[in-house]
Amino acid sequence: MSRVGLALRAAAFVAAAVVVALAPRFISSYHALEWSQVAIYFVALIGLNVLTGYSGQVSLGHGAFMAIGGYTSAILIAHHHVHDVWTIPLAGLVAGGVGLAFGLPALRLTGLYLALATFAVAVAFPPLVRKFDHFTGGNQGLILNLHTNDWLYYLSWSIAGGALLVGWLVLATPIGRSFRALRDSEVAAVSFGVSPALYKTLAFGISSFFAGVAGSLFAISSAYVNPETFPITLSLFLVVGLAVGGLGSLPGGVVGAILIQFLPTYAQHVSKQAPQVIEGAILVGVMLLLPGGAAGLLRIAANRSVVHSSQQS
Amino acid sequence: MTRAVLIAAALLGAASVAGAAPTATPGVTSNSILVGGTIPLTGEAASAAGVARGADAYFKYVNARGGVFGRKITYKYLDDGYEPQRTFLAARQLVQQDNVFAIFNSLGTSNNVAIRGFLNQAGVPQLFVASGASTFGRDYKKYPWTIGFIPTYSAEGKVYARYLLKTKPKAKIAVLYQDDQYGKELVAGLQVGLGAKKSLIVKKVGYDPTASDVRSEVASLKASNAKVFMIFAFGKFSVQAFITANQLGWHPQIVVNDVAAATSLMQLSPTKATEGAISIVFGKDPDSPKWKNDKGMKLFQTVMKRYAAGQNPNGYYAAGMASAYTFVDTLRKAGKNLTRKGVLNAATHLNEKNNPFVLPGIRIHTTPSYRFPISQVRLERWHKDHWVIFGPLLAAKP
Repeated sequence: MSRVGLALRAAAFVAAAVVVALAPRFISSYHALEWSQVAIYFVALIGLNVLTGYSGQVSLGHGAFMAIGGYTSAILIAHHHVHDVWTIPLAGLVAGGVGLAFGLPALRLTGLYLALATFAVAVAFPPLVRKFDHFTGGNQGLILNLHTNDWLYYLSWSIAGGALLVGWLVLATPIGRSFRALRDSEVAAVSFGVSPALYKTLAFGISSFFAGVAGSLFAISSAYVNPETFPITLSLFLVVGLAVGGLGSLPGGVVGAILIQFLPTYAQHVSKQAPQVIEGAILVGVMLLLPGGAAGLLRIAANRSVVHSSQQS
Repeated sequence: MTRAVLIAAALLGAASVAGAAPTATPGVTSNSILVGGTIPLTGEAASAAGVARGADAYFKYVNARGGVFGRKITYKYLDDGYEPQRTFLAARQLVQQDNVFAIFNSLGTSNNVAIRGFLNQAGVPQLFVASGASTFGRDYKKYPWTIGFIPTYSAEGKVYARYLLKTKPKAKIAVLYQDDQYGKELVAGLQVGLGAKKSLIVKKVGYDPTASDVRSEVASLKASNAKVFMIFAFGKFSVQAFITANQLGWHPQIVVNDVAAATSLMQLSPTKATEGAISIVFGKDPDSPKWKNDKGMKLFQTVMKRYAAGQNPNGYYAAGMASAYTFVDTLRKAGKNLTRKGVLNAATHLNEKNNPFVLPGIRIHTTPSYRFPISQVRLERWHKDHWVIFGPLLAAKP
């Protein structure tokens, strides 16, 4: 990345941080809660982008990794009375560990087959939660502490800001370069000494860590988890959010997160009878107009205004 | 001239604002009451949306006749897709953004559990929860702002037990149940009701609520040679259970729980399998010819035609209206000076005998320590594509 690009990026980050920090003064308490959910989806999308956008592996099961994080937090809070905030990194580590373990068998699968395998994880998770109901609470779920909306807002956005920085850092290191090399051509990457096994599992682990953190925040903000807190549709919505935000652009995830949070509510405003039809129509429209997602749109704009070479990350 | 018009407009504006000046109670003005609720308008459980739409239609009917103490009721119900996470967000929106007076008639067990802590902390009444889980009536010490409505699932299980002990005291029983809080509570009620004869249950098999079908479960129950088959299921699973039993040539006495026994569901199953099945009933079923000339059901049809035109007037709508009728009664009882405390007090001192949408003779009755508004039912038997009520009113206490 050029020095100018880095400075621009830093300035944009600081400006965004200021806007986010001041926003609760101008929006209602309930809107603060809605926007804290956006931050949570954003964290999950950063993780998913590392996996799909940068290392080229598709996951239809990230809702399940969020659920693992969410349940880790919920169990620690409800059964062991750990303070909510301390459970967040633990939730990330547990989900990340499961992700690493899942990455190993998934190595043999590519493309569509990998997507199906991850989808199986999403499908299998809720019955597992019901099966071990003595410590997951089964269908009855686990009830957690209530927090104020503003507290949740600042917690979620602080973590989202941190997640974005960590994501950038990881991708700026040789690890990130290896991810991209694998994504673009596995054969070429191997001939340069990049180990696909190592980096593909690593991508799964890192990505699941983010999902676990997001799931933990999800549980804390809902003050309640049960198997339907993390429905299968969540995994699908994350992929949709990723496509809308733009593959290979971490900040683009904000747009995807906004879509995941607000599209169902908006669709309900348009039609009480068939909100899902509206949702589908909007998604088709967005993908037709913006095949590269929000990040793609920004890139086109940047290419037109900046004369010298564009930087594709 | 323009100035005069402006002043007049300003005065009018001021007058209308003053007329609607909010009192100390959230969601209540001198001419309106804003009530919130959640319901699945989308997703697999969307067929239950009639529970909210029926209540809404009844409120519109009440509003057209002057409302309650001059206040018109607005019922704002939000879609939660039957996902507790979305119920939670919707409840926060209704309370913190829209300032509703109370949450009324929200549907689903987990969905209501997910919002109960928040509503009780905020001191918002959670009235007439649309779920038969007994926790909503039983745990009032911990959750004083919450109250249920329909008979509990455990009470229902006990009613079946008593009926079986009386009519088939020696018959072996096989149970298919949904493996969650809902199905387990029905099974527990049945076992408590059977008491010492609990061993009559020779086999019980649970199915996962996200499973695709229950064929293997029904087959294994058939192998038990039971003479009574209890179906404690939900939606499509009960239809599958009837169809599979029929395909296997198994024709025991079937008992199907209320939630799974909607006429529209029963009519999907082969008549050979459903004929003679037993269930309980407490609301009037619009699909039953018995109520063709009933005053209450005529009112139901009128309200549907006028305020929910084009929608299928089925039992879900009638259930919603039954709840809405009791809610309006509760508001009246709470008096002109409407507060949240007042409405809770009224909801826990109910003695309603004339709800036109529930069976004649049922008394909707609560006290601060007895929060199960409907605890009387009758039995019904499926005959020639309809439910036929038989026997007297039975106590259905949890």
